[in-house]
Amino acid sequence: MRKIILLLLLPILAFSQVNLPSVPGTNQFQQYGMPSFENKAKVLVPNTTNTLFGGAEQQKSNQQLIQEVEKRAIEDQKIKQEIHQDIATINASFNYSLPSFSFLPATHYYYEAFERLIQIDTANFSIKNTNFLVENAFYENQQDKEAFDKNIKNSGEFLIAKMKELGYDLNSNSAKNYMLFQFFSETLQLNSNGLKHLPFKYDFEDFQGINDWSKMFVTKLLATKTGQCHSMPLLYLILAEEINAEAYLALSPNHSYIRFPDDNGKWHNIELTNGMFSTTSSILNSGYIKSEALSNKIFMQNLSKKELLSQFYVDLAMGYIRKFGYDEFCAKVIEKALALYPNSINANMVKSNIDTHRFEYVMFKLKINPRDKNQLQNIRYYPKAIELLKEVNQQYDTIDYLGYEHMPEDAYMQWLQSMHDEKNKQDSEKLAKQFKGTLIKPLKN
Amino acid sequence: MPKSFIYLLLFFNIFFATAQKQDKLFEESYDLLHSMIENDNNYNFKKAIFSVENAYLDGRLDTTFVNSQIDLLQELSNAIINSKILNYEERDKDIVNKRASIFSIMCDTIPIKINDTIYQYHPFGYDFNDVFGHKTRENLFVSKLLETKTGNCHSLPYLYKILCEEIGIDAHLALAPNHVYIKHRSIKDGWYNTELTNKIFPIDAWIMASGFVHIDAITNGVYMRALNNKESIALVLVDLADNYNIKFPDNDGTFVLKCTESAIRCYPNFATALILRAETHYKQIEKIEDKNNYHIALKELEKEYAHIHQLGYRNMPEDMYLNWLVSLKEERSKYENKKMNTFNKN
Repeated sequence: MRKIILLLLLPILAFSQVNLPSVPGTNQFQQYGMPSFENKAKVLVPNTTNTLFGGAEQQKSNQQLIQEVEKRAIEDQKIKQEIHQDIATINASFNYSLPSFSFLPATHYYYEAFERLIQIDTANFSIKNTNFLVENAFYENQQDKEAFDKNIKNSGEFLIAKMKELGYDLNSNSAKNYMLFQFFSETLQLNSNGLKHLPFKYDFEDFQGINDWSKMFVTKLLATKTGQCHSMPLLYLILAEEINAEAYLALSPNHSYIRFPDDNGKWHNIELTNGMFSTTSSILNSGYIKSEALSNKIFMQNLSKKELLSQFYVDLAMGYIRKFGYDEFCAKVIEKALALYPNSINANMVKSNIDTHRFEYVMFKLKINPRDKNQLQNIRYYPKAIELLKEVNQQYDTIDYLGYEHMPEDAYMQWLQSMHDEKNKQDSEKLAKQFKGTLIKPLKN
Repeated sequence: MPKSFIYLLLFFNIFFATAQKQDKLFEESYDLLHSMIENDNNYNFKKAIFSVENAYLDGRLDTTFVNSQIDLLQELSNAIINSKILNYEERDKDIVNKRASIFSIMCDTIPIKINDTIYQYHPFGYDFNDVFGHKTRENLFVSKLLETKTGNCHSLPYLYKILCEEIGIDAHLALAPNHVYIKHRSIKDGWYNTELTNKIFPIDAWIMASGFVHIDAITNGVYMRALNNKESIALVLVDLADNYNIKFPDNDGTFVLKCTESAIRCYPNFATALILRAETHYKQIEKIEDKNNYHIALKELEKEYAHIHQLGYRNMPEDMYLNWLVSLKEERSKYENKKMNTFNKN
């Protein structure tokens, strides 16, 4: 019996903006032939001719020799049996899952949040409440929901009041979204009461939330007026929900942005990190979007409500991982995320990380160094470990098949900057102008 | 009345006799391509291409010459495989090595030593004249490429695919507006593009940023998808139909429709075939005299065009195409696949 064991060696890195976890390096498959381990002990066969010619002495010593050999063979057999027994007991009692962090009291806020997420109606839920639920689990339920609600409500009222002042059509989706766009990118003041709103700014510091996960949060964005490509689009969606505007989250490598349809059914992209309307080609120019990624619809597509909810599960899992680490609870959360959105690139990435951690943990427990070819062969005694390895490899294949390509951090920053260049600025202004034109028209009289 | 009808029939029979002879080669070529679609065992890209070219050339294709050329290139490829060590260590290195040899043949000047004399092998070049084969269809032919050593985005990838199959590996054709290129997949780099006109490995953004690729076109597989062998035959079927239209400008469209229908069956979102079918329908509709029927047919045609638009197809003007092709040279650093240092020497 020969089995082929595949192994992926991967660097465990953690980066990316939209909480993408570690990226599987180039797939390095290695083949290990499995030698048969039933090495039969060699038993000496007594030469029968000796008994014919040899004397009694000779015969006696021969007999002894035979006995000795047989004895040794039995002993060998015994040892082997013991080894097999040991392995069998390890296999039976060994726990092939990650140890739980449930002994930490703070994890229970996450367990609660998860229970509540499961209750949510996948087709119709409040983005505001769901996002608050996820962020609050990280803060151990210390956030003030009422204050948060009030803040959103005030902002919504501000938007409506400003729309009225500017003479925008309150029923137009174009107008609502344009107002939201202005809210994020311009200084606005209400003439009636002098209330002023300053634009949100991009926070370059730790924009991936590596040192401080709360950098990703809407609560942080509201408190500091600075955010990044995770929190800004989410706040946009929350406010859009508040004023009943239609807008969607869309993903691109390490990034998320807003898409919305205008009153003529034409789609627009809003890039909140620099307050611009972005063209499709400026997004594609990141250079890390493969055609396979587009045909599998992992990037540049409106996320449906269900897919957005899946995204919240991923956020929950990511917060948990950053706060505590990998265990089977995050695996459960991600399973749910994938059930809602099987092609979700973010959920698939987190899953591959969990699978990898689980496999590495099991290897550690079995005292096998998976990076050592010779040691790794010992995995053959543990069918369950082989299964885990297969799962890891399958997950990498899935991500590869989805057309994902890793975008390095500096390439990402370069791309964000390039969105700012002259041509894109002009494109944005042109789009915004076209837009304004359509806003005035629906005005009554 | 019936008598005159018979005379008329006879007259047309004689009239078409000559046309039918020429026609015959096209029909034969169609049958061959069709059999390749029906039965995988019949598939042979080289045969498919040369049968189409032979039909257009009225059977005057120098098969001995093209075959000997291809055999020669195959030998050269084997020599390269044996002499070159590739900086690639994955399980699929034999295949990648073979691809590299074909890429070398297409793109590199190679010194060859025969009996202590060094000869220079010159690669295939790009012919900027008549890129679309407007002057003569022969400019698109692989046989022309083999003869003159210059070709375009039609003949170069076709020859690449033929050579790959001759040495026993696959090559996937892929489409972009007015363009054909090569897609391969390797363990190390996943899917990657090979662009023979500029001899580089461009990233997908190059094609996406051309401005004529709607995202829907990518999602629907109109462009940028690695085509399988049957879909590649669909491309050849449309070549056959195009050639037929040039050869017999006043044809009634039956043959062209037969080709396009066949092509669309194995590649439903193949924009070029859908457009050619719609254009042929339009030619037929123009001949309808009854006003009512004419309008009904026109409505149907509108649906066809709407479908093509919906798939994400947008027409790319021909001069834009050349600008875009050249952009790869000018913005090489931006669009070059930096992972492909395995055999990207220049």
